[in-house]
Amino acid sequence: MAKYIGKRLLRSLLTLFLIMSIVFILLRQMPIEGYFQNFEKMSALQIKVGLQQLGLTDPLPVQLANFWKGVLTGDLGVSHKYRVGVDVLEIIAGKMPLSICIGMAALCISLLVGLPLGILMARSTRTRWKLGDKLGTVFVVVIQGVPAAIYYLLIQFYFSRLPGASMFFYMDQPTTWILPILSLSLGNTAYYAMWLRRYMVDESNKDYVTLARAKGVPTAAISRKHVFRNALVPLVQFIPTSVILTLMGSLYVESLYSIPGMGGLLVTAIQGQDNTLVQALVLIYAAISILGLLVGDLLMALMDPRITLGKKEGGR
Amino acid sequence: MPTSTDNIILSFQDLDIRFTLRGQVLNAIRGVSLDVFRGESLAIVGESGSGKSVFTKSAMGLLDANGTIAGGHIWYDGKDLTTFRTEKDWLAIRGKEIAMVMQDPMTSLNPLKTVGDQILEAVLLHQDLKGEAAKAASIQALAAVGIDDPERRYKQYPHEFSGGMRQRVVIAIAVACRPKILICDEPTTALDVTIQAQILDLIKNLQKKLDLTTIYITHDLGVVANVADRIAVMYAGDIIEVGRCEEVFYDPKHPYTWALLSSLPQLGVKGQDLYSIQGTPPNLFYEVHGDAFAPRNPQALNIDFVERPPFFEVSPTHKARTWLLDPRAPKVEPPEHIRQLREKGGAIHD
Repeated sequence: MAKYIGKRLLRSLLTLFLIMSIVFILLRQMPIEGYFQNFEKMSALQIKVGLQQLGLTDPLPVQLANFWKGVLTGDLGVSHKYRVGVDVLEIIAGKMPLSICIGMAALCISLLVGLPLGILMARSTRTRWKLGDKLGTVFVVVIQGVPAAIYYLLIQFYFSRLPGASMFFYMDQPTTWILPILSLSLGNTAYYAMWLRRYMVDESNKDYVTLARAKGVPTAAISRKHVFRNALVPLVQFIPTSVILTLMGSLYVESLYSIPGMGGLLVTAIQGQDNTLVQALVLIYAAISILGLLVGDLLMALMDPRITLGKKEGGR
Repeated sequence: MPTSTDNIILSFQDLDIRFTLRGQVLNAIRGVSLDVFRGESLAIVGESGSGKSVFTKSAMGLLDANGTIAGGHIWYDGKDLTTFRTEKDWLAIRGKEIAMVMQDPMTSLNPLKTVGDQILEAVLLHQDLKGEAAKAASIQALAAVGIDDPERRYKQYPHEFSGGMRQRVVIAIAVACRPKILICDEPTTALDVTIQAQILDLIKNLQKKLDLTTIYITHDLGVVANVADRIAVMYAGDIIEVGRCEEVFYDPKHPYTWALLSSLPQLGVKGQDLYSIQGTPPNLFYEVHGDAFAPRNPQALNIDFVERPPFFEVSPTHKARTWLLDPRAPKVEPPEHIRQLREKGGAIHD
């Protein structure tokens, strides 16, 4: 187990290295106009000095090597545009807690609503009219089919008229937190409901369920002890994916509601070509995503006795 | 062998079972009557799709959601099981009175629960035991089906067992329910030939020890010859011949039984093609007229296509649904090798 985790961590680091190097090189291909606010009025010398200050005149491999040296010593550089001269990590540290807070709240809501909804839909497939399943499917299809950008806007537009709600996010008014968190959770809620329903229907058609029925286990107990438990195993793999989805959603939701978090920051940083800030943010997002995948695999191994990590024995 | 009526443990009467598939109605079981005697070992044989599984599942309320009992009765212990509507009714039967061993031991155990837990579940439901005593009974059940080192095996998962061992676990679960009837739905089909005999022996021994009535469902006549006291031959949702093992094997009356026995590889001659029955079973989405086997029977009589034959009694224990047994019917002899079988059988049983 420890050996396996060690191997996986090494591989994760390699992935992270590749992602960062590619992003770094791509950022260097951006037009130099973007680095200066009044590019047209600057002389060639001014531009050259400006680029030199930004460290953009060195050959690309040298720049990249310097960047990795910085990463290893924990120095990701200072912001050039967003807050000139301030350490990017300091900027992010001020923003990250809020983003994590909102993201986790959304994820919790997704699990708390999505899982019961999935169970309800799966159970309803055995009833005559399958009403619960049909209504649930409508919800899932709408959320999965309509681009998030559109329903985020619709929610912001229509629901912000409700008392207590607002078009914007205010730290000190908890009711204004509801809409962004809700928007952020919808995608994952539909995702969990859809897959849990599907896996539960799959499991409930398996032979061991028939055997459990034949030995006289009541349906409710079968559903709880056998079907739900077994359907959860493939589902834990999705947890990392949903972390990533939440992160992606937060990029847009945060700028929509003017939430002073990390997601809005990345958009601003890219628009301003604040390279160091973009690099630091991408590094963090990539690390979270990769870690999420690793955690998902470990969770699955914990829940399924057939999966033994790293050992070559048993199973089929 | 017990045959008197008060020894009947389970009785099917004119049972009709229908399935609705995409708006069409399939008559899976067409007016079948069968008595099962206490303590006997009955084999229901027939080809795939003849309805043998559906027939026995109906006695446990395990029909798929689109299947309904459209007519007839299933009597057990003075109760008509066809009147059962709620799950609560069935919970008094499932496991407690009738238990089942299914075909594929690879899929009939929950892969994420230890085998101990799965046996324990049955013990807690059907034996009046709790806690440590229930656990001890579960370990005891594992030992009773011939699994070595049951205490260690108790904590293992199904994937740590071989196919034959898993089938033993499934049998342990069924037996731990303390049922009166054990339905074995093709218990050896998915197993290695070398393991098949062991599993059949195990079931036979348990039957004797626990005074069980066993119903085997199979298409393997070799299995039947090994274990059954009586045989019921099923074709297209109907039982067409029923009798004691030697009666059906050595003196079969229905042309389908002839054809089925002729297909036994053991009867084939080396170098010659094996016998196979021409044609396909009737489509049960349509109403069957007359004898369902008539279209595939080269010696079919005209009446076979028109009217369904009743049961004709050959002996008090042997009856068949074929017009050939009608006194007015022309004398049609079974194929040569079937008659040879009879002579051999006569020799064996003298």
